[in-house]
Amino acid sequence: MSRSHRQEGPDRLYVITSGRSAGADESLDAVTLIAAESEPAPGMQSEHAEILRMCAAGPMAVVEISAHLHLPVAVVRILLTDLLDSGRVTARHPRPAPSPATPLASPDVLEKVLVALHNL
Amino acid sequence: MTDIPLSRGTASARLAAPGWLYLPLLSLPLWAWTLWAVPPDGAVPVLVASAAALAALVVLALSLNRRERRVRELTGEIAGLRADTAALAEDHLPRLSERLRQGDSAETALHRVPAPADPGGRAVLGAVAAQIAAAERRRASAMVACATAAGRVQALATTMLADLRRMQERHGDGVGSGDDVLGDLMHLDHSTAQVGRIADSIAVLTGARSGRRWGRAIGMESIVRGAMGRIGDYRRVRVHNVCTQAVAGFAAEGVVHCLAEILDNAARFSPPTSEVHVHVEEVQAGIAVMVEDGGLVMGEEALERARRTVESGLDLATISGTRLGLAVVGQLAQRYGLSVSFRSSSRGGTAVVLLLPQKLIKPLPRPRVDRTPDTAAGIAPPPASASPGTAAEADAGTETTPPASPTADGARTAETGLPQRRRGMTLAAAEKARPAPADSGPATPTKGFGAFRSAVRGQDPNGSSKDA
Repeated sequence: MSRSHRQEGPDRLYVITSGRSAGADESLDAVTLIAAESEPAPGMQSEHAEILRMCAAGPMAVVEISAHLHLPVAVVRILLTDLLDSGRVTARHPRPAPSPATPLASPDVLEKVLVALHNL
Repeated sequence: MTDIPLSRGTASARLAAPGWLYLPLLSLPLWAWTLWAVPPDGAVPVLVASAAALAALVVLALSLNRRERRVRELTGEIAGLRADTAALAEDHLPRLSERLRQGDSAETALHRVPAPADPGGRAVLGAVAAQIAAAERRRASAMVACATAAGRVQALATTMLADLRRMQERHGDGVGSGDDVLGDLMHLDHSTAQVGRIADSIAVLTGARSGRRWGRAIGMESIVRGAMGRIGDYRRVRVHNVCTQAVAGFAAEGVVHCLAEILDNAARFSPPTSEVHVHVEEVQAGIAVMVEDGGLVMGEEALERARRTVESGLDLATISGTRLGLAVVGQLAQRYGLSVSFRSSSRGGTAVVLLLPQKLIKPLPRPRVDRTPDTAAGIAPPPASASPGTAAEADAGTETTPPASPTADGARTAETGLPQRRRGMTLAAAEKARPAPADSGPATPTKGFGAFRSAVRGQDPNGSSKDA
């Protein structure tokens, strides 16, 4: 939880999350891509504004936002949940990976394979 | 001392014999013999001359007599004064200071001690009594203040120890999840921050320095949040900040501490359901921070007392024992040239305006600046120039632990559905066009990205463990 020495400031993590340590959107995981839907507004919490600025260029993974903000992922997820609730960002969830348990789980891929087979 | 009446010693002078008057008495027979000896024809001039000499002699004797009496008077007076001074030093003053040390007020103690007859002595005794009483008051309130502060530290430390014990018991079983650990650590952090503030207050009141110094300017948002983090009820504080300035590093800690004490007062003396509003704005003279609470309206008298406490922050005699906050604010304000004003608030409570002078204000350092060397030395390219997905993938693919690899592949699989996988805006546009899938993937273990995050941050991996 220690932040780099250079980035250290007098503000603590619990103030940044307003005392919350849980309650983040469960569907947000480290590789969820976040896209900004609005511009940062004046008077906004600086972390929120920074997330919106970072994601304005293109969708960014949660883990990357966490790295650039120098904040733990759990804290970033709480901040992102705030932004998601106010509709300022949207989350794009990655597809489940093909694994031994669910090989080729994506119906899209299966459909594409079927179309390709038809075209043969 | 010139108007002291010369009453002492006159009685003894009156008792003294008029010694010099014997001189003209002795010359009286000589005069009689002269009358008899001179021839009768020259008698008148001789008689007149000798009578004149006799008269002169009488006058001389009288004046000498008066002078001697005066000398005796003054000698007696000096002796009396010496005795008085000795009594003052050996008896009155020790008794007076003893009375005062026992807690008597200056007036009471003066009544109990016999007053010297000399008004000068009385004045000395009164002045000394006032001084000793003030010193005693100062000492007593300093002791009470230190004891109060130390008591608070002890109470908080006890709470912390109990909390730590509970946490050890809970996490020793290994059933706690990552969020719980984070929450517990935040809780601990909060307690420690409050302990730190109280310890800082003791340090400031005893003339020492606050605990830490910042090597760079600290933005106003961080200043306010740092102050919030040091009080108990920080969740009730609402910040309205549009200020983009920063406070110079040397004064940042003092300003944070000062603001924390003001916020603590505001939160403590207002109902636990009301909010405390903090408005930060840039003004001509510097930065004004207004703290408004919804508590009781302070009367004009209470406001005046608060002003006095802040103004005389260095005078420990004015501290009322349990309320250290304003004295700390006063000390810090004097040290850094802050101005503190009180007034009643439009919200119904009290408003405190803390004005930071222009000499403490610095432009806010951009945090992005020092990130460039990190990204240059590290692996991830800057977010604007390349696809974040690519960066995450490249990193995950090259140097992550096996559990992370399938997730990275999953991200790639999701992207292979696109007509063209290009970076930046293409990806964003394509992603926006596609509706977000309802089902989420399995939660990714963030531990696997510790290496990535540490590479970007330039430090050891320390990601919060959230095991799926």
